[in-house]
Amino acid sequence: MTVTHMTNSTATRDSRTGARAGEERLFARHQQGDRVAREELVQRFMPLARSLARRYDRSSEPFEDLLQVAALGLLKALDRFDPDRGHPFASFAVPTVLGEMRRHFRDAGWSVHVPRGSQERALKVRDAQERLANTRGRAPTVNELAEYLELSTEDVIDALQAIQAYESLSLDAPRPGAADEAMSYGDAMGEEDARYELVELDATVSAVMGRIPQRERQILSMRFVEDLTQTEIAERVGISQMQVSRLLRRSLEELRALTSTTG
Amino acid sequence: MTASPNVCLTLSNQPDNVVLVREALSAMAETVGVDDVELNDIRTAVTEACNNVVLHAYEGAEGPLQLEVYLGADAIEVVVRDHGTGIKPHIRSEEQAALGIGLSIIQALAPRVEFRDVVGGGTEVRMEFVTPSAVALESLVHDGFEPPILAREDLATTAALALAPAALARRVLPRVICVLAARARFTTDRISDAELLADALVAQAAQLSTVEHLKMSVCVEPRSLELRVGSPASSRAERPAADSAVHDVGPVIEKLTDERVLLAEGDAEILKLRLRDER
Repeated sequence: MTVTHMTNSTATRDSRTGARAGEERLFARHQQGDRVAREELVQRFMPLARSLARRYDRSSEPFEDLLQVAALGLLKALDRFDPDRGHPFASFAVPTVLGEMRRHFRDAGWSVHVPRGSQERALKVRDAQERLANTRGRAPTVNELAEYLELSTEDVIDALQAIQAYESLSLDAPRPGAADEAMSYGDAMGEEDARYELVELDATVSAVMGRIPQRERQILSMRFVEDLTQTEIAERVGISQMQVSRLLRRSLEELRALTSTTG
Repeated sequence: MTASPNVCLTLSNQPDNVVLVREALSAMAETVGVDDVELNDIRTAVTEACNNVVLHAYEGAEGPLQLEVYLGADAIEVVVRDHGTGIKPHIRSEEQAALGIGLSIIQALAPRVEFRDVVGGGTEVRMEFVTPSAVALESLVHDGFEPPILAREDLATTAALALAPAALARRVLPRVICVLAARARFTTDRISDAELLADALVAQAAQLSTVEHLKMSVCVEPRSLELRVGSPASSRAERPAADSAVHDVGPVIEKLTDERVLLAEGDAEILKLRLRDER
């Protein structure tokens, strides 16, 4: 057994140095314009390009497009590599491929505020959140959303953040009938009542309460005076729980800013 | 006097903490206005450094993963540290290939990279990124800033963090809390509450002080988060003897949490808050 083991490890080492030697021969042939050698090198290093492309897979680009850019970077690296310098090819190829990918992102105007892919994902997560909340009678967890949409939990978390952040998207568009319901609830509640009840929330806040929109005052009151959950508020007002969440965050932030400036 | 980090995280080297680091970096980038391509470079390089700690630093065992971010005028420095066997020595041959790509990626994306040995064992990777589009935050100068530490038995469940200034904490803390609430299997409803709580804690800290770090640890349990928030030591003298029932946390924090306890820890007071998802 011991002998076999030793033979194995020697064989591994031999095959590795063998691979390195084969690589050198391929590069030598490639430099002389041998297309077959070039093709073989591409095949050999394609896993490296794929592994680098995968690291950018969470961007808004389809993976196949990323892989194509990485492969282009690999070809450039193959053509520029000088084997006589004695460095392994991989250490030369990684920066070249990454450089190609970064150039692609810049050229593609990728650095717009919300990449389209993540916008679409945010809409999907928002819709799934509502659908699952309706069927289960409670809001879903991130894991449930990830499983349902076949996304990673990181993707779902990013989408939840995007829903919070980008209300200028069509995310805030009211659903059929929702606006009417919100109105009728607002009317029934009465503006003065809401203001008095919120004095209980924070005495310092009551002075500035009139300066935030009525709908936000009502939602604050429902959460912090009536002690309703965000899902319950969403049902009453006829908006999504994610919208309730955003309105709560925004109105509390507004109130804090107003109380700190008025002293 | 030396600069202290703007973001400091002490985590276990579990794979899902790499997601937490990435989310914290994104929130940081939003605050200072790093553009998407720069952020992607930072996230990719830091992910590689963290993956090294997850996969190789403790040889399959659990140990701390520490992250520090220094936001400079036109450069951002990120330090990823472990207290294990380190990256350099004894790399097993089958790991070498993966590790090699990781280090090549870091070197390709960060204009300046430095590997240092950590006193007492371990390695730190210091990466500097040039970020001309970033806005400088007020610089923090503190002597003797200590990164938050975690007891060995708490490491698996707890994340410790220090954030400053408030403008940065306002973005980073809710994002970190969102990741941890998701891990505690909170519903989106209660995750939003946890974010509201994070907002309230940052607002409260900002009122008390502008230069101190907001220090906190968050313990994740099934459907429960326990937050321990450090209060500035000076506030204790003004209070009566530490009472286990807390009434002055403000109505928002009170309504959002299920339990509030004030603990005395040495000279400091620790506010312990528990948030449950009862469904």
